[in-house]
Amino acid sequence: MSTYILMKILESAPSRYDRGIRILTLGRLDKVYDRLTSHIKSGERVLDIGCGTGALSLRAAQKGAKVKGIDVNSQMLEITQKRAMEANLTQNMELCEMGVAELGSDESESYDAVMSGLCFSELTEDELAYSLKELRRILKPGGLLLIADEVRPKRILKKMVNWLIRFPLVIITYLITQTTTKAVKELPKKIEESGFLIESVTLNRMGNFIELVTKRPEK
Amino acid sequence: MNPFSYIVVNVVEILLRVVPLPCRAGLVKIGNPERHSPVFLTCNYHLTVERVKRALKGVDCYLLVANSRGINVWCAAADGHFTNHDVISVLKTSGIEELVDHRNVIMPQLAATGVEAKIIHKKSGWKTIWGPVYAKDIPLFIQNNLKKTPEIREVEFPLTQRIELAASWAFPISIFLALIIIPFWPEAIFPIILMIWGLSFLIFMSFPLYSRWLSSEGKRIGLIFFDFGRGGFQLILWCLLIIGIIAYSHLFVEFSWGFIFRWGFISFIVVLVLSLDLMGSTPVYHSGLHEDRLLKVILDEKKCRGAGFCEQVCPRNCYGVDSNRHMAAMPKTERCVQCGACIVQCPFNALYFKNPKGEIILPDTIRKFKLNLLGKRLREK
Ligand SMILES: C[S@@+](CC[C@H](N)C(=O)[O-])C[C@H]1O[C@@H](n2cnc3c(N)ncnc32)[C@H](O)[C@@H]1O
Repeated sequence: MSTYILMKILESAPSRYDRGIRILTLGRLDKVYDRLTSHIKSGERVLDIGCGTGALSLRAAQKGAKVKGIDVNSQMLEITQKRAMEANLTQNMELCEMGVAELGSDESESYDAVMSGLCFSELTEDELAYSLKELRRILKPGGLLLIADEVRPKRILKKMVNWLIRFPLVIITYLITQTTTKAVKELPKKIEESGFLIESVTLNRMGNFIELVTKRPEK
Repeated sequence: MNPFSYIVVNVVEILLRVVPLPCRAGLVKIGNPERHSPVFLTCNYHLTVERVKRALKGVDCYLLVANSRGINVWCAAADGHFTNHDVISVLKTSGIEELVDHRNVIMPQLAATGVEAKIIHKKSGWKTIWGPVYAKDIPLFIQNNLKKTPEIREVEFPLTQRIELAASWAFPISIFLALIIIPFWPEAIFPIILMIWGLSFLIFMSFPLYSRWLSSEGKRIGLIFFDFGRGGFQLILWCLLIIGIIAYSHLFVEFSWGFIFRWGFISFIVVLVLSLDLMGSTPVYHSGLHEDRLLKVILDEKKCRGAGFCEQVCPRNCYGVDSNRHMAAMPKTERCVQCGACIVQCPFNALYFKNPKGEIILPDTIRKFKLNLLGKRLREK
C-alpha cells in the first residue's frame, strides 16, 4: 500500500482525490474505513481529523452519529459539503476549516469517538504530540480513538522492499507536487505514551499500513 | 554549523535547488533567550533555516520553523504550501507560548502572499511583525528596533543570486541531458555540459544588460511553457551560436552538415530549456506566461485608512504612506510584479486587482488562490 505516497498528488487536486484514491487502493481503503466506523453508534458525537473529502465523516454520519470534520484544506471541505448535501446528511455533519493546532478550543470530554484516516502521517512531530494530548482531553472517558494510517515497517526485509516500492513513487510525487509524505514512526507506542489503551492493532502484510482501535481509559 | 560544512551545504543545496529539501519543523533556541527575547519564524527549507541561523548568530532569540514541505518561503507561500494553518500550528504546538511573555512573531516578508497577519492574530493571538526580505538583513533590522528601511524591504537580483540561479538550472539540466546522451554519443558529454553551464551563466549574468526589455507590458514572444521575453534574447543568442558553429566547422574541422545539425540542435534544446519561464524564476519579474502580469492593483481611497501594511510587504517598494492624511499611495505602479501581497494583507480590503477588460478580482479570491499558479483565479471571478 505504499501507493499512499501518491495521495499527495491527489490532494493537490481535491476534485481528483476520490477517484484517484479508489483506484490506487483497489477498494481496500473502503473496507478499512468500514471496519473502523463499525465501532461508531447512532447518536454519538464524533470528530474526524483531516476529514479530506469525507470518507470517514460520511460513513459515521450515515450511522446516525453527530460528526464534526476538520481539515486545513478548504477545497477538500467544499467537496465533503457537497457530498453531505447529496446524501442528505448535512444535519448530522459540521465541517470546520481548522488544523489540529486549534483543537485547544474544543471542550473537554465532549466526544464519544475520534477518527483519523491518513492524516497523522502528514503531521509534524510537534503536531502529532500536541494532537494526542488534546485528543485525550476532549474524548470522554472510555471514548475511542480510531486510526488508519501509513507507518514504517519494523522488519528489515520489509523495510527494504517497502523502500524499493516507495522510491519511484517518492520521485514522481516530488516532481509533480514538490512534496512527500512521511510514514509515522512507532505510532502505537506514541499513542500508548499519551495515555490511551490499545484495544486492537491490525497491520497489513507489508507491515506499512496500520488500523488501530484505542481507548481513553475509564475513570 | 562550522564554516566548512556551511559552505558545503550551500553548494550542494544550490545545485539541488529545484527539489524541496525539508528539515525538522519546530522550535530552535539560539543563544540564551529569555522571556522577552524576539521570536522569528521561517519555513522548513533546509538551506533557508541554515542561512537564518547564521544571520541570527549572536542574537539571543527563538526561531520557529514552520512546515512548508521543504519549499522556500516565496514559492511555498505563493503556491499554497505555506499557509495560515502552518503558522498557527507551529505557534501552538512548538511550546513557544510557555517560553516567552509576549506574543509578537517576526515573519519573513516574502511569506506575505500566502500568510495572513489578520487571521493569525484572530486565531492564535499572535501579532505579526513583517521582517526583512533576506535573512542577511536581520541584524540590521534588529539594530533598527524592528523597523524596516526601504532597502531591506526590496527584492533584488544581485550577482550572487544570479550565480546561484544559473547553477541551479545548469546542474539538473546537465544531469538530465547526460543521462539521455550517454548511451548514444558518450564522447559529446563533456562539451555539452560545458555548453549548458556556459549558456546558463551567460543568460543569468548578463541579465542587467537586457532586463529593461523584459518589461511586463506589450506582446511577448512566448510558446506554451517557454518565455523568450520581448527581445527574444535567447533566440538571437541561438542564431549567434549557429554562426559560431558554422564558423568553427569551417575553420577547424572538416565542414559537414551533420556536425552543424547535431550541434545546432543540441544548442537549440539548451536554449529552450534555459528559456523555461526565465522571468518567473527571477524575483523581480512576474512570470511572463500568465495573464496575471496584465493585472493592475487598484486602491480604493474611500476604504484606505493608511494602515501601511501594503508598504511593509511590497517587495518592490511601490507604496508610500502619507501619515498626515492616513492614506496609502502607489507612486511606483510600473514596478509592480502582481504578487498580490499588498491585497492579501490589507485589513480594510482597500486594494484589489483589475484586469485589462476592466473586471475586478476581489481580495478574498486572491487570498484563496494565492499567486494563482493554475490560473484558477481568473476562472473563479
Ligand atoms: C490523505 S488526506 C485523507 C483524507 C480522508 N481522511 C480520507 O481518508 O480520504 C489527509 C488530509 O489531512 C489534512 N491535514 C493535513 N494536515 C492537517 C492538520 N494539521 N490538521 C488538520 N488536517 C490536516 C489534509 O488537508 C488532507 O485533507
